[in-house]
Amino acid sequence: MSRISTEIAQKNTVCSAGSRCDGDDDGPSLIAFLLDDQQSLTAVDEFCRQDERQSKPAMAKYYTKLMPTAPPGPGQQYAFDVDLDRCSGCKACVTACHSLNGLDTGESFRDVGLLVGGTTANPLLQHVTTACHHCVDPACLTACPVNAFEKDAHTGIVKHLDDQCIGCQYCILACPYEVPRYHRGKGIVRKCDMCSERLSAEEAPACVQACPQQAISIAVVDVEQVIEDSEANHFLPAAPEPRITLPTTRYRTKRVFPRNTLPVDYYSLNPQTPHWPLIIMLVLTQLSVGAFVIGTVLESALAAGIAAAFHAVHSTNALLFGLLALAASVLHLGRPLWSFRVIVGLKHSWLSREILAFGVFAVLAALYAASNRLPGIADGPRRMLGWSVSVFGLAGLFCSIMIYVFTQREFWSFANTATRFLLTAAVLGIAATWLTILLIGLGSPSLRELTRGTGRILALSLVAAMSGKLLFEAALFRHLATRTNSPLKRAAQLTAGELSNAALARFACGLLGGVAMPLFLLLRTFPSGNDEMQLLLSVVVAILFLACLTGELLERYLFFAAAAAPRMPGGLRP
Amino acid sequence: MTVFSARSWASLFHQRDGRLTREQQLTPGGFGLGRVPESNKPDATTQMVCGYCATGCGLNIHLQQGEAVGLTPTVDYVVNRGMACSKGWEALTVLAAPDRATTPLLREVSGQLKPIGWDAALKEFVSRFKQIQSRHGEHSLAFLSTGQIATEEMAFLGALAKFGMGMLHGDGNTRQCMATSVVAYKQSFGFDAPPYTYRDFEESDVIVLVGSNLSIAHPILWERVTRNPHDPEIIVIDPRMTETAMQASQHLPLFPKSDLTLFYGVARILIENGCIDRDFIDAHTDGFDRFAEHTRGFTLTRVVTETGLSDEAVLQFARTIAHGRRVSFWWTMGVNQSHQGVRTAQAIINLALMTGNIGRPGTGANSITGQCNAMGSRLFSNTTNLLGGHDFTNEQHRRKIAGILGIESARIPAKNGWAYHEIIEGILRGRIKGLWVIGTNPAHSWINQNQCRDILDRLDFLVVQDMYHSTETAQRADLILPAAGWGEKEGTFINSERRFGVLKKVARAPGEALADFNIFKLVSEYWGCGEMFARWNSPADVFQTLKECSRSQPCDITGIDDVRMIDERGGIQWPFPAGCCDDSPERRLFEDGVFFHSDGRAKFLCGDPKPLPEPTTARFPFILLTGRGSASQWHTETRTAKSALLRKLSPQNPYAEINPADARTLGIAQNDRIILASQRGRIRVRAFLTPAVQPGQIFLPMHDESTNQLTDSVFDPYSKQPAYKACAVRAIRDG
Repeated sequence: MSRISTEIAQKNTVCSAGSRCDGDDDGPSLIAFLLDDQQSLTAVDEFCRQDERQSKPAMAKYYTKLMPTAPPGPGQQYAFDVDLDRCSGCKACVTACHSLNGLDTGESFRDVGLLVGGTTANPLLQHVTTACHHCVDPACLTACPVNAFEKDAHTGIVKHLDDQCIGCQYCILACPYEVPRYHRGKGIVRKCDMCSERLSAEEAPACVQACPQQAISIAVVDVEQVIEDSEANHFLPAAPEPRITLPTTRYRTKRVFPRNTLPVDYYSLNPQTPHWPLIIMLVLTQLSVGAFVIGTVLESALAAGIAAAFHAVHSTNALLFGLLALAASVLHLGRPLWSFRVIVGLKHSWLSREILAFGVFAVLAALYAASNRLPGIADGPRRMLGWSVSVFGLAGLFCSIMIYVFTQREFWSFANTATRFLLTAAVLGIAATWLTILLIGLGSPSLRELTRGTGRILALSLVAAMSGKLLFEAALFRHLATRTNSPLKRAAQLTAGELSNAALARFACGLLGGVAMPLFLLLRTFPSGNDEMQLLLSVVVAILFLACLTGELLERYLFFAAAAAPRMPGGLRP
Repeated sequence: MTVFSARSWASLFHQRDGRLTREQQLTPGGFGLGRVPESNKPDATTQMVCGYCATGCGLNIHLQQGEAVGLTPTVDYVVNRGMACSKGWEALTVLAAPDRATTPLLREVSGQLKPIGWDAALKEFVSRFKQIQSRHGEHSLAFLSTGQIATEEMAFLGALAKFGMGMLHGDGNTRQCMATSVVAYKQSFGFDAPPYTYRDFEESDVIVLVGSNLSIAHPILWERVTRNPHDPEIIVIDPRMTETAMQASQHLPLFPKSDLTLFYGVARILIENGCIDRDFIDAHTDGFDRFAEHTRGFTLTRVVTETGLSDEAVLQFARTIAHGRRVSFWWTMGVNQSHQGVRTAQAIINLALMTGNIGRPGTGANSITGQCNAMGSRLFSNTTNLLGGHDFTNEQHRRKIAGILGIESARIPAKNGWAYHEIIEGILRGRIKGLWVIGTNPAHSWINQNQCRDILDRLDFLVVQDMYHSTETAQRADLILPAAGWGEKEGTFINSERRFGVLKKVARAPGEALADFNIFKLVSEYWGCGEMFARWNSPADVFQTLKECSRSQPCDITGIDDVRMIDERGGIQWPFPAGCCDDSPERRLFEDGVFFHSDGRAKFLCGDPKPLPEPTTARFPFILLTGRGSASQWHTETRTAKSALLRKLSPQNPYAEINPADARTLGIAQNDRIILASQRGRIRVRAFLTPAVQPGQIFLPMHDESTNQLTDSVFDPYSKQPAYKACAVRAIRDG
């Protein structure tokens, strides 16, 4: 300040000597000076330094009483304790978590939601601060294929090992509380570890330190008590079912919540982020598995010569789609280089199992596809190989189903997921077989026989499978009539509302590729000598295949986008 | 020798440590901070006052080579004791926004804003404004200032505009928030003097909050309430169930703007039951008997009819005041932004005076301010008052200030300038042709927005000086001057409890943005009145001048040596006259019962309640309430919306709160798109059905750009503050 004063004072002397300072001469130099001065930081020079050596946190005098007096004993763990009567909705905890943990733009491990309800005479507004619940049975930990989550044996803190993570994001689907968040730039998820580094130095976690109302504290809880509370659904009104993961956070209030207490975002319908690599991976693995199963069955039924020709094209065809699926799945990973680590999660993670099963499937499928050209493979073992491809494929498909069933979302129930995935395998397996027939037909006269006998069965089964699938999917809309806002009703509302374009396209593709085209094939004959008819056949089969494939991709997009994720109460998002 | 040890093989498959883990590693920060992110470990820290609301929290800035890398709330600052709200935590984040104004921008003939240099910008500024003055007279230029720049900057602006550039009319955006309290205090106490210190929140046994959602609008003051060890009775008077009302022991959801009737009715009950402090009234006040007479008409029946409250609720409220030993009354915008705000504030003051609840710990009739430096503006912006709380129309005052500034007293206008709405009207009537807007956003925040924007577009030349070029007002400007923000410059703020706090320069302003102080310095040079401000070279210099201006005033601060003294003491409350030996960190006014009127007495002032200026009709059957949305939003969101985190913590779409019963009648379901219309505009929002708002009322948060398209230009007759809080609207489903 002194520098600027003197400099400007000098300039002023010049100005007043010249009686009038109109800026023509001195203006620009004053501007230059002020611009330069603006960039010099003065706080340190102007004001005395605070004591650097003071290492004991000054805030300790406020937060000590919010910390447990002794570490957890056997059968106990640390937990967040939230006094809802104190939580006022200032959201300082969210910003402090971000700031004190040096998180990236917009990133925080805490969030604040709002519960509303009551009557005009007695309305309720209850803000709820929420972070990781450091569950007794964390779904993130079970789901993770690479064991990137650890539950500390003494503190019970669920910690994420950032360097172990491969960025598969399965934990995000598995956690009922939306706790792990994906960091796109780093290709991993990150989450709250109760500031364990601070805790071990007897400092309070960021959110505990920062709450002006002292609503958040760290408690030692009995694991048995957590289980009992979860059994009795004594967690937080309208929060996801605590029995799934046994969350340890204790929400306390003296208030009796009205019976209509709901999160303020309860009726907000937001489509979930679709995972396109996953969508492609699921649909194409199912296509591949379906095609192999159907192929293996057909090969045993067809005459030897035709079977060999069929095998050569069909197994390659199915294999290529399978490999494409696996390539797509890699794109889903934030850090695909480390994907070999999935081997460590086999004991508990359906994702590990899925990857292993499809890995074996791919290797066997490749061998099987090549088996014609490899010398010395007898028919018997080759057939065995064919069946084992199908078995591993179906095992992988089962793991795929279980990945979603594990999340316990209603829309992803076993019945719903299994029906969709298996029928996709059937529909696309048949469609792919038709593609094979077309490919063989272009270079071989055996087409005639295939289209006549087998083709008829294939076309009929496709119509049946697709009609069944479309009816099954359309049955979702019956939930629109439900009066309560169930997850299935939300899925139906989203599908009929914001996602209606995708839904319309899905049904149109299904009807075209899975009903109209096969019916056309059934009603017409395609004499082999007739080039025009051959061309027509090619077009019809191409449409059949592409429409079926597009339809299934759209179906899978809706499967992800319309699946309302369970979550803690959120903020206002009308 | 093996390339991989067993350990590294294991870590290949299960890696517990590495680059990603280390990125989140913490380290002891020193300076009493506890653990901080390793990359942000400070080499020094310094404390400064927050730049959002008037709570005036202390923020401890973590520095690396003088530059801010992080902050934590200051632990030993008496205001906030180690706490801050979400906005305070994010105070540094919003400085680095892509829409910061980094160079002056001039609107070309094509309508595009084009970057120009400061020299050209200042020449344009001077030539255009002087041209307007020569054509339409000196007073055809006006300025609109703000409560968000440093006291020294406000003083510079006010002095430059009025004494240097010959303007008469200039007002601040504090007109929108605090004018009512200013007038109420001036008339009742003899000076604009909020009497309290925040400690009073902790010492009350009854806390009455009127039109204040304290826990959302002033979270740190709510913290002080929650630290009250006396288990206080908390009474919230607000038509809506707010977060604050939720935590109150009594919530009085009265009919909008019926508070004046309620307070008169309660005063009558207290008087008739002898629950008043006769000794205090006799010794220290004036006009009580007239007031007692006035309250006689406010029978319980009338109060119940007009407020919609139950007999029991009103009586219980009166009983609580009567039984309270230390009753404090606090109000904010629910009172101030009203067509009868001054009288309502004074009705509250009267309750405090007649029960002797003033000048003692835990008492007071206390207005809580909104902006970080609204209090600085009230004393030193040279708009409504002459510098230091003086009177433009008083010749002695003019001579005193002229003497201190070393200018001819003829340079000081002897008339009061126009208030904000008169300036806007002046533009409409062609009397104001050029306008200089500093650090405020009237195109969003002024009442009856469509009309306001239309009027602003009629100006010959509009200059907007702001941190961001994206504000709704800046987008209409002919010239934008890029300003440095909080943290990028020096000066002082005065908080709600009269405490001076220090602003420091801990961040580099982007591009060619300059501190407002230096912009004023440049304007004075280019305008040709640089000589007049020869001594105004730094905020520290101006602080010394302002000290002189305050001498012998109720806000005397001549005992403060310099800014460093304020810093060392953790803020200093005015008054602090030379020789002041009371250096306790929390001081309240009127402990001696002496008020600032010449006879030392406080005045009982009252008037008749007036009906709602725009009553509901069959066409517009709802009363529209406006107010704070969430704790992470601030005013027109020019700053808060720049933080990704604060944005995430704010409502996602513009919305209106409507009672479920009303919604059912209108066929509106949760989250439906609806149209709200008043006589002045139509807006599209989403419906948020909540019983927190009473049937017949609709609530809109003030942060959404469209809200003020509906509000009605009605003003308190004394304070000229806009009545944002009530107008008539209708709601229909959209589509």
